[in-house]
Amino acid sequence: MKVEKAVSKVAAYIIIAVIITALVTGSAVYLATRGQVHTVTTTYTYTKTVPQTQTGTSTQTTTQSPTGPTITLMVYGPWAGDEAKYFQAVINAYERLHPNIKIKYVTMRAEDLAAAMPIQFAAHTSPADVVFTPWAWWIVKMAEKGYVEDLSNVVNANEYIPSIVKKVEWNGKLWAAPFTMWLKPGFWYRKSFFEKYGLQPPKTWQDFLNLLNKLKKIPGIKHPIVSGDSTGWPLSDIVEHFIITFGGPQLQLDLISGKVKFNDPKVKEIFEKYLIPLIKNGDFSPPVEWTTAVQLWWDEKYGLYFMGTWITGMVKDPNDLAFFTLPGCRGIVGGADYAFVPKFAPHMQQALDFIKFVATKGQEIHAAQPSGKIPTWLKADPNKIWGPMKQVYMTVKEKGLQILPDLDDSVGGDWQKLFWDQLKLLWVEPDKLDQVLNTLAQHFPYKETQTSS
Amino acid sequence: MSTEIKIKKRYLAMFLIPGFILVAIFVIGPIIGTFIISFETPNGFGLSNYYDVITETSPTKALVLLNDMPRPPPWGALIHNLVWTAIHLPATTFLGLLLAYLLRRVYGRSIVKSIMFIGMVIPMVVGGLIIRFMFDKYIGIVPNLCGLIGLTGLDKTWTSYPDTALIALIIGSIWLWTGFSLTIHAAAIDSLPKTYIEAAKIDGASDWQIFWKIIVPSVRAATLTVIVMTMLWDLKIFDIVYAATKGGPGGASTVLAFVMWLYFALDLAYGKAAAVAVILTLLTLIPAAIYIRQVMKRG
Repeated sequence: MKVEKAVSKVAAYIIIAVIITALVTGSAVYLATRGQVHTVTTTYTYTKTVPQTQTGTSTQTTTQSPTGPTITLMVYGPWAGDEAKYFQAVINAYERLHPNIKIKYVTMRAEDLAAAMPIQFAAHTSPADVVFTPWAWWIVKMAEKGYVEDLSNVVNANEYIPSIVKKVEWNGKLWAAPFTMWLKPGFWYRKSFFEKYGLQPPKTWQDFLNLLNKLKKIPGIKHPIVSGDSTGWPLSDIVEHFIITFGGPQLQLDLISGKVKFNDPKVKEIFEKYLIPLIKNGDFSPPVEWTTAVQLWWDEKYGLYFMGTWITGMVKDPNDLAFFTLPGCRGIVGGADYAFVPKFAPHMQQALDFIKFVATKGQEIHAAQPSGKIPTWLKADPNKIWGPMKQVYMTVKEKGLQILPDLDDSVGGDWQKLFWDQLKLLWVEPDKLDQVLNTLAQHFPYKETQTSS
Repeated sequence: MSTEIKIKKRYLAMFLIPGFILVAIFVIGPIIGTFIISFETPNGFGLSNYYDVITETSPTKALVLLNDMPRPPPWGALIHNLVWTAIHLPATTFLGLLLAYLLRRVYGRSIVKSIMFIGMVIPMVVGGLIIRFMFDKYIGIVPNLCGLIGLTGLDKTWTSYPDTALIALIIGSIWLWTGFSLTIHAAAIDSLPKTYIEAAKIDGASDWQIFWKIIVPSVRAATLTVIVMTMLWDLKIFDIVYAATKGGPGGASTVLAFVMWLYFALDLAYGKAAAVAVILTLLTLIPAAIYIRQVMKRG
């Protein structure tokens, strides 16, 4: 009996040992060989190539897809709520042209994409056929790993705003198609509110300070400026505006490339002289969740709100909106969403066709909606831009404001998160300026950024 | 020993195999994979991932950041986890036990228990958002209550300030987790023979004495389960932090699982993310080992 028991015990141990050994060996073999699997090539044939002429005369008309079984394209993008509704107009237009293609849109923010997709890609699968994200740096990182389809023959890079398209070029190839772009033009206010209290947009820094003082005295106003809170980007937009205004557009570019460090005296001076006194003076509110802040500001609990142009699609009456830059400002930040096709997209040919559409005519349709966006496609008809947004665009043009890349979006990675987080700290503890600037300088990814810029 | 039992013992291993294979593929396999990846570096296999994550000084990713103490957070994710456990564990365990005892004689106690248990039922991400709103200056109950009773320093959005962000999350998590402790302890107290308490009452023991001298020792096994499960929960905490503060401001509320996510999702540094995962797993093994030991002792 004892012998039998011992034998069954030994058998069990052997089985367990064999399974563990198999798992370890399997894992080791997988890890050892996975570097090779990225070289897999796809064998699809894409027939709608765009002529790569330097004159940019490609044919952008979309033709009806051949009839056949209905295909469902999965499209992942960052828009939800009203923003998703405006993108739906693009989808609807495409579906009308391609009755055999249905598009299922799934909301997935850039952060969630960055967390979820690399695992899928590493396993050579992709739940999405087309992915939209504002994080150009992330697309390039995915491209470096061999997870992204080359779009050089699908989209003509010469037909887009150069600074926008450049961000998704790597190794001489284009890895994503630019979609519509937003601007972060300055401080938004309600025209009716300004009229009611006899306020004027400032022409000098002193005017701006006077305006803040006047706003403070208005009954019901909690703080002159509401600070949007989210993961942190609304604060970084404000900081970038101050940097561009008082340091010039070149300083913004130098900070992105790493040529100038955050603890450089000229950067520190901008914070010390202009931004910190306002924070200490209570001119900025503590961070308020950014969509809640839109409503509070609209309800006149705050006077000013620094936000991107998408705000035009978020308020009850966009015709009551106006903005001003800080006096002396010569540039504003602009950025775009990008669409890419994962290497492992289930419907490659249709995905590429959809990309071509959204990158061209799709942009016109999107910009015609109250999306607060303008096309990045240079051949788009500016007359089709939604009225209030067109007004913003014209103001930017009239003032001759240079459109600059977003600082944290350009640097990306975990530094972006650090930047946002440190600014949140600065907003509530402005005395920690030195600590914040030193932390940002110390952890900046200098080498990578200098190389890629 | 009957023949049936003999057969059972002999083939016990065989019956375990299907379950074990599943566990091996879906649990043990990934653990081994993670362990291997944690040693993968650009220059081959080595310990540099561990060295890098342990010596990291960025406030959002540091595990230990104890220079210039004493000062408010950030103290590093590992320290935050330990502080979280040090406050949350005794608070939820004791509160759950006390409430279970007090609710024993309350009419409609099952409704109260159900309400308390809601914290356990709702997704933790939702719990995180609720915490964020609970501690908001304008709409949150806590800052407004503090303002009403004259604690003006706390009449602010707790999650926006480094000195209060971590404690806001801990207090919020106490609310979320107490339902678990209450349910386990209530079940344990209900299973106690009524004669214990009746005898004590006849002997003239007060409610407080009954609680400390009879209830607490009698439900020790349930308390151990609560302690171990709470420790595991505290060490693995992520959702609440992600939803409420994103580890901020200034890294004042990061935790180990959040740091792992940062390496993984934003830095795309899988080796370092795996190294943090291994550290986290080793830490969770401590309470798990205590629990298994106790269970085996009892068994």
